[in-house]
Amino acid sequence: MNATSASRANTEAVSGQGRKVLVWDAPVRVFHWLMVICFAGAYITAESERWRLLHVTLGYTMGGLVAFRLLWGFIGSRYARFSEFVRGPRAIARYVGSLLRGQPRHYTGHNPAGALAIVMLLLLAVTLTISGWALYNEVSGDWLEEVHEVLANLMLAVVGVHIAGVVISSWLHRENLVGSMLSGRKFASPQEAIRSAWRSVAVVMLVLVLGFWWAQWRNAPNPEQTAQLPARADRAVVQDHGED
Amino acid sequence: MNLTTLTRTARIAVLLTATAAGSVTRAGTPAELLAGYAAQGTEAPSPKAGQQFFNNRHGREWSCASCHGAVPTQTGKHASTGKPIDPLAPAFSVERFTDAAKAEKWFRRNCNDVLGRTCSQAEKADVLSWLLTLKPGM
Repeated sequence: MNATSASRANTEAVSGQGRKVLVWDAPVRVFHWLMVICFAGAYITAESERWRLLHVTLGYTMGGLVAFRLLWGFIGSRYARFSEFVRGPRAIARYVGSLLRGQPRHYTGHNPAGALAIVMLLLLAVTLTISGWALYNEVSGDWLEEVHEVLANLMLAVVGVHIAGVVISSWLHRENLVGSMLSGRKFASPQEAIRSAWRSVAVVMLVLVLGFWWAQWRNAPNPEQTAQLPARADRAVVQDHGED
Repeated sequence: MNLTTLTRTARIAVLLTATAAGSVTRAGTPAELLAGYAAQGTEAPSPKAGQQFFNNRHGREWSCASCHGAVPTQTGKHASTGKPIDPLAPAFSVERFTDAAKAEKWFRRNCNDVLGRTCSQAEKADVLSWLLTLKPGM
């Protein structure tokens, strides 16, 4: 049953386009995996003050990455552009329907369901970063903390759906979508390939991100100083008590 | 989305409505909070034990004093970010320990960092009883 439909989808997908061509440019891929690191890292460190600086650094990095991605969605290579993959609700419903029947239409770029996940993730990341910034700089009340938490959990839920969609699509189309997000290459006809990987832009992104992380780490309080501070003050307290 | 998230969403809705209605967060005094913590223990809160608890490390990198300072009558410094922290002693910072839910939240977060567990009511009572002994001009 499923094997038959899957192999049919597979044949449709691969017939006439038997080799892999470049689809995802380097900035898209670097953005994707840096987002994975930032969101996972920030989520894990959310409940701890010990890792607060790391949490904030990863959150701000995510904000910067999303700002870049929004720009890249207009000026980037073919499959990076919003105009190429953002579609209306009917197209999304049609695609999900074909997915449920086990015969999804094959897209060289993002499929409509994946595109919806991307738009939602970008919107959530923007609001998450703004609320996080406002919390860290204490420009609003405590209620925002709850909002920040709900947004993070919503984003985790969309990430979950996104991963499930990738696994299901990979299986139905018999193509490794995770591998494609690493190599940038998918099965498609040569004329569908993008011309440049824009590696220079990806290098600038990496340099900026790593530079920001390094600067944050450099400006962090010296752990030895903070460890000594209470010890010294502690002696002062004992003396105070002696004088009492 | 899980049930907790839904509950949180509901809580926010209630909170926003309450804020919009112009009501203020549940008021309380540090003494009332202390009474609440102490009520669940068998012994009277000990300021001395509280001071020790506050300044000792508990098998981890940080003590409470790492961020709040050994005597939290002055502005503390976050040990990770370096950001200033308002004095913890209520006599030096009027908002401290006036909101039970907020105090509870920060005990939960910070005890997890310092001890790797939640604090007992007795431990909270000890610390707060010590903080209440700290007065200006001492």
